[in-house]
Order: sequence, then C-alpha cells, then structure tokens
Amino acid sequence: MEESAEESMDLCCQDGVLLTSAPAAYMNYINTVGTLFIVEYLNSNRTRCIEWKPNDVTIDSEMQDQEWAMVNTVERRTRTFSETCSRSKYLKVNMIEVKSFRVSRNKQKLAFMDGKGESLCNFLFQHSNCDLLLATLKGILRTAPSRRDKHLHIILDDLQNPETQQLNKSFAELNLFQDPSDYVWGFVRNFHNKPYETAMEAFAKITDIVYRGPEHRIMDDEVHDILNRSLEAIENSTTTHTHDEYEVIAHVPKLPDRKDYPRGRPLSADQWKGLKDPEGRVEDVESVKLMIFRGGISPEIRKEVWKYLLDYYIWDNTNTQRQNLIKQRHDEYNVMKLQWRSMTHIQEDNFSDYRERKSLIEKDVKRTDRTIDYFEGDQNPNVLVLYDILMTYVMYNFDLGYVQGMSDLLSPILYLLDNEVDAFWCFVGFMNKVSSNFDMDQAGMKEQLQHLNMLLAFVEPELANYLKKHESGNMFFCFRWLLVWFKREFNMEDIMRLWEVLWTGLPCQNFHLLICIAILETEKEILMENNYGFCEILKHINDLSGNIDVATILSKAEGMYHQIIEADHLTDSVRLIIGLPILGNTVMIDSKEASPDISELASSSQGADGEEVCYERAISNSFL
Amino acid sequence: MATRKKVLLKVIILGDSGVGKTSLMNQYVNKKFSNQYKATIGADFLTKEVIVDDRIVTMQIWDTAGQERFQSLGVAFYRGADCCVLVFDVTAPNTFKSLDSWRDEFLIQASPREPENFPFVLLGNKVDLEPRAISSKRAQQWCQSKNGIPYFETSAKEALNVEQAFQSIARNALTQQNQTVDLYNEFPDQIKLTNTTNRNSNGDSCAC
Repeated sequence: MEESAEESMDLCCQDGVLLTSAPAAYMNYINTVGTLFIVEYLNSNRTRCIEWKPNDVTIDSEMQDQEWAMVNTVERRTRTFSETCSRSKYLKVNMIEVKSFRVSRNKQKLAFMDGKGESLCNFLFQHSNCDLLLATLKGILRTAPSRRDKHLHIILDDLQNPETQQLNKSFAELNLFQDPSDYVWGFVRNFHNKPYETAMEAFAKITDIVYRGPEHRIMDDEVHDILNRSLEAIENSTTTHTHDEYEVIAHVPKLPDRKDYPRGRPLSADQWKGLKDPEGRVEDVESVKLMIFRGGISPEIRKEVWKYLLDYYIWDNTNTQRQNLIKQRHDEYNVMKLQWRSMTHIQEDNFSDYRERKSLIEKDVKRTDRTIDYFEGDQNPNVLVLYDILMTYVMYNFDLGYVQGMSDLLSPILYLLDNEVDAFWCFVGFMNKVSSNFDMDQAGMKEQLQHLNMLLAFVEPELANYLKKHESGNMFFCFRWLLVWFKREFNMEDIMRLWEVLWTGLPCQNFHLLICIAILETEKEILMENNYGFCEILKHINDLSGNIDVATILSKAEGMYHQIIEADHLTDSVRLIIGLPILGNTVMIDSKEASPDISELASSSQGADGEEVCYERAISNSFL
Repeated sequence: MATRKKVLLKVIILGDSGVGKTSLMNQYVNKKFSNQYKATIGADFLTKEVIVDDRIVTMQIWDTAGQERFQSLGVAFYRGADCCVLVFDVTAPNTFKSLDSWRDEFLIQASPREPENFPFVLLGNKVDLEPRAISSKRAQQWCQSKNGIPYFETSAKEALNVEQAFQSIARNALTQQNQTVDLYNEFPDQIKLTNTTNRNSNGDSCAC
C-alpha cells in the first residue's frame, strides 16, 4: 500500500482488529492489533482487496525470540502466496481469492476462506463487531448464507467481476428468459444446492432451443455433437438414489476390467552386465528402468544400480568418467562436511537456524530404525554416520535444512550402501524427487493429498464418497504414507523393493498415489462395512504398518494404471496428475484450482472429454 | 448434563519435537516405555477407559508431530478437543520457551468457545534426567500467568506422576465438556454445530 503507486480508495476501515490467523508469511503479525480495510484500487479492473495493517510495528520481544527464526525461513520458501502478498508489508488479500467468509462469536470473529474452504485470514474485532465491514462487503458482493452453516456466507460473485458480466451477457444473448440476471442467479443457486437436477434441467432447456427453437439458430456441429452425446449418455446410464433431502441422479461410469500384471523377476547381475557397453556405459536406459519397474533389482547389484536411479551416477558415463565423478563428489562432500564441523561454539551460539536443525537431527537419528541390526545398540557408529550425512545435507541445502521424515528416507540408503559419501549423494537424489514433501507451508503435501483424492474419486468413486461423508475427504490418514514414501509401512527389504520401483518413474508420474489407492482399495470393505469414521479410519490405516504385501500392491497399482488410461471417461484432471497430455484444446485445467467437489463432478460425468469438462468448469467457476 | 451416555474425552498432546509426547501417551495407556519410539509422522491416538468421579469415560489421546511446519495439518485433529496437554522437556530450555506459541497456536486452530477458560495442563517431562534447565518454580510461574494451568513434573521413562497427571487431564476435560454442553443448551440453535463436527455417532462407538 505504501509502496504501491496505484491510487486506491478505502471503502471501509475498522480499527482494533486482531489478526488471529494468516498465511505463514505473516506469522509475526498474528495476535497483533491493527486496522482492517476494504480497499478498491482505481485501476482498470477495480481490484478490491482486504488489507490489514498492524497498529505499530513494535513486536513483543518475547514473541520475537521464538518466531523470528521461523519467519525468515517462511519468507524464503513461500510458494503459495501471490507475488503482491509476499512483497507487501501488510496483509493483503485480493477479493477474487475470497470465496466465503464466516462470522461468529457475536460478530466479533470474521474468517475469510478460499475456494477450497481453507482459511485465508481470520480477524477478531476487539472493540466492536464486524457489522460495518459486513455491510460494505454485502454492498460489493452477492452473498448467501450456507445451507449447512448459517454463520458461513458463500460469496456467489463479485458484482463487478468480468466473468459474471460475461456469463450474464452470454445468457442474455441466448435471449432465453425475460430477466437474464435473475435466471442466472436462480440457476447458479440451484446448481449449488442441487447440482444434478439443475444441470439436467438446464440441458433440457437448451435442448428445447436446439431442437424446438422457433427460429433456426446457427450452431456449430461440434456444439451440436456435444449436446447430443451428453444427452444420450445421461439417458443411457443414470441411476438415482436419495441423498439427504434431495434426489441425486448420479451416473457411475465403470473403468475397464482390471487385468493381471504379475510381478516380473528382478534385474539380475547377468542382465545388468549385458546392458553395459565395454566402456561401462548403460545404453538402453528405458529397458533397464522397465525391468526394474516390473521386478525390482537383485540384492547383489542393488548397491550399484541405486546410484544410477538416484542420479548419483550418470547412465552414459564411461568407467573413467565415473571414476572422476566419484572423486569429485567425495571432495565436494568433504568440503561441505568440514563447513559445519569447523564451526566454533560462538558461531553456533549466533546461528539459531543452524542450532535448531542440529538439535532436531540429534533427536531424530537416535530414534531412526534402531531396531534393525545395522543401527542397533548404544554408541552404534552407523547412527553417527546418519547424523553426519544429515548435518552435511543441511549445509548442502540450508533453506530446506532438516525436516522430520528425512532420516527415514536416508536410513535404507545408508543401510544398503554402507558408505557415507555414496549414501549422501544418493540421498540428495532422493530428496530432489520428494523435496516438495517438506515445504515450509506444506503446499507439496496438500497438493498430493488433493491429487490422491481426485484419483480415488476416479478409480474408486464409492470409497471416495464414503470418505467424504466421514470427514476424511482430506485424506490426512495417508499423510505418513506420502511424506516418507511408505517407509513406516514396510520392513527394510520391502521398502527397498518398493522405492526402486517408484524411482524408475514408470509407468507414469505420481505412481506412488496409485500405490495408495491400491492399498485403500484392499481395505475398502473393512472401512465401509464397519462404518468407520474419521478416527477409526486413521487408526486402521496407521495400524496397517507391517501388514501390507508389497508385490500384491505393486501388481494391483499397475493394473489400476492400465484401467485408468484405457477408461473412456478419462478426465483432464486425472491426465494431469498422471502426466498424460491433456485433450482439452481450449482451456487448460489447473487441478490446483479445482475444488474437490468440482473435480468429482468432472470425473463422474459420462463421456467427459475435454470440451465437456470445460463446459462444466465454466459453469462451476462462475458460481463458486 | 443429565444423560449417562458414554463420554468420550478428546485430549491433544502438544509440544516440541522430542519432549516425550508419544512416550507419555504410551506410558499412560500401555504402561510401557521404549527408547525406540520413532518420531511421530502425521497423527495417531490411543484410547483408554478411565473412571472420573464415578463416571466411566473414554479418553482419546492424540499425539501429533512436533516440528512446527507440520502444525498446519493439526487443525483437523484439534477440532473438538476437551483438553490440551502441553509438554516440555525440563532439561531443554527451548522446549519451555515454545510453550506460548503452542498454546496460542492451539487456541487459534481449535477456536474453542471460551479461549480464556479452555483447560490446558502442563507437563514438565524427563525429570529423571540431569542437568535440569527449568525449575519447578519457573514452570509454575508460567502456569499462574496463564490463568492457573495445573502443572505436573513427570518421567515417562520411570512412570513418575504420569497417572496423576492424566487423571487431572481427564477431570479437566470432563468439566470442560459439561460446561460446553450447558452453554449449548442455553443457545439451542448452536447444538447442531458442535455435535456434528466434534463427536457424532462414531464417537460413541470409537473402539479404536
């Protein structure tokens, strides 16, 4: 605001407002009193923002001690906030991001949420209530109380939003109704409350126009086709069942039958030898990877092949080149290790970020796989090696530093390679594949949980629906699986097999999510027949540890992969997750923006090819 | 609360990494201690039936990861808590300094109805270890400054004071739940909200 040269106008301002929750970048302002504004920028878009400014910038010294170190890291690693936000000195949220708000505690608490229902920022009105602010909001936004929670107000749309105007305009051009705006909003409201009925009704009306319209309208063959196909599809295969107070007409498209994909034999020493040319280059990398994907690696060559899979060794290097690389990497490692080992006490005392990482590593290596022989017993030297590697990794990637879970990822690598430098570089390779799991703001984990939910809705809609109804649609119970790639679920031998298969990157991107779905499908009956709720689901999943058969799950996941890619109704959102090219040639669908509800809608509609998804998106986007 | 329905008390254990949250929970519920607990990833819970003032109640004790960046996922687990147990390590001063932010974070995330009256219990763990960095007096002062939070010094390893501490936790949680129910009875239109989000039918059958 201060630094912004843009002219702006305060539509409303209220002082004595405590910031109680905000994106991590504003952590140090939490529990600070300030002034809340609604600001309109006098630019062409008339951008409106919720802005909050602390009263004075003195920060409680006690709070500073604890929070300061964190805040620095937060700002460096922020991924999820918009540019303007992270640059802005004060909290600033564009109204476009706000999709709902909740008023509670005698109108003293006001929370703004995004399209996924996640909190953007929360305020506490200390001296008064938020009436003034609400009045302003209602003057510029069309809102409606949620059916489920009367304190929650859904923002239907910004009255000046260009999308609304466009939607209004396109309906007006169709000239279907006397007052287009009323109809659109009625439609939108109905759509929100009774999506299927409303969609059918809308289709029916459009059909009237298409087939029985008083005048001939010029219509693309393509549009004609889409309408035809959707109508046929709906007529051919809909089922109805009652859901709460309204009837849902749902269509559950079927995936093709699952075929058997029995596991292959592990890549053997002889095969491996045969794949290298006389100078030691591995030429046909894709075949090697395919063999590993199908059967894993024989234990006697695992040590060597892992170095390739984890990008320590380079596939087309000759033996000589590789020797040079190894030497170079050894030197680099030793330099980095020396950096922290040579740190003086005073340096350490003055370096709290470093101390914090060090103390976490100390705590965690002592409790990483101490029951297996390799790490067992007091004063076990391998525990010290684990510590040294993780400390050196802190120097290698200080921004990421050390996050819990990393010691779990390193342990099998060190166990297998039994060499500090080799294990370090292989660990670096593994971390490069999964570093987003350890984001400060957990954006990577949240995205994966959401993708997992979307995939599940496609492969196992019944289970996805069950989870949603039992407060588990957020898939939190899979958090541990994803964070450390199932490390806590399997013994050493099995986790090595699973990881080497996953490291090939075959048969598709995010295959580990299909592993999750394969396990969930195996447990589906137990979860549903026992009518498990949030707690029991989590407990059941946690307790699976040690009872999952890795070969069975791998075959099942591979079978699922083939079912997905062969499905007629494969949606672009699913294509994006598994890394297939998308078909929709007009609109790119950003899966991150899709709320789970929308993705479900998209994935459960028959013949939802590109165009149709786009059509649904267009409608959904304009009402959410 | 006239009903004699089976009561489920939800307790959340919070504190820095490595202060002994998992150990305390296991010592209390399973009466065992191990040096080999792994760092908690995600969340887990244990349940135990206890008798508080002649009533049988089920305590559901939630254990979460201690590293700060995982807290954003805590919300789902904090919801509907009846008591929050804060733990620090008496030999590690930093873990004591973090208590304020754990408490604040919990209040923000769980948004209890009356934050100032929400029951917390403080446990200073690892009293079997030397050297000690935080005196009882200092811990008690902190408790007093927060509206008189009960304080217990425990050793999960030696099973010292663990039983007593959790008895107090259960009692505080039960009081909180009764008060909450009374409050909702005064404002009947709000019953629905908490009943559905906190403890619906599966709460009663939660045998896990």
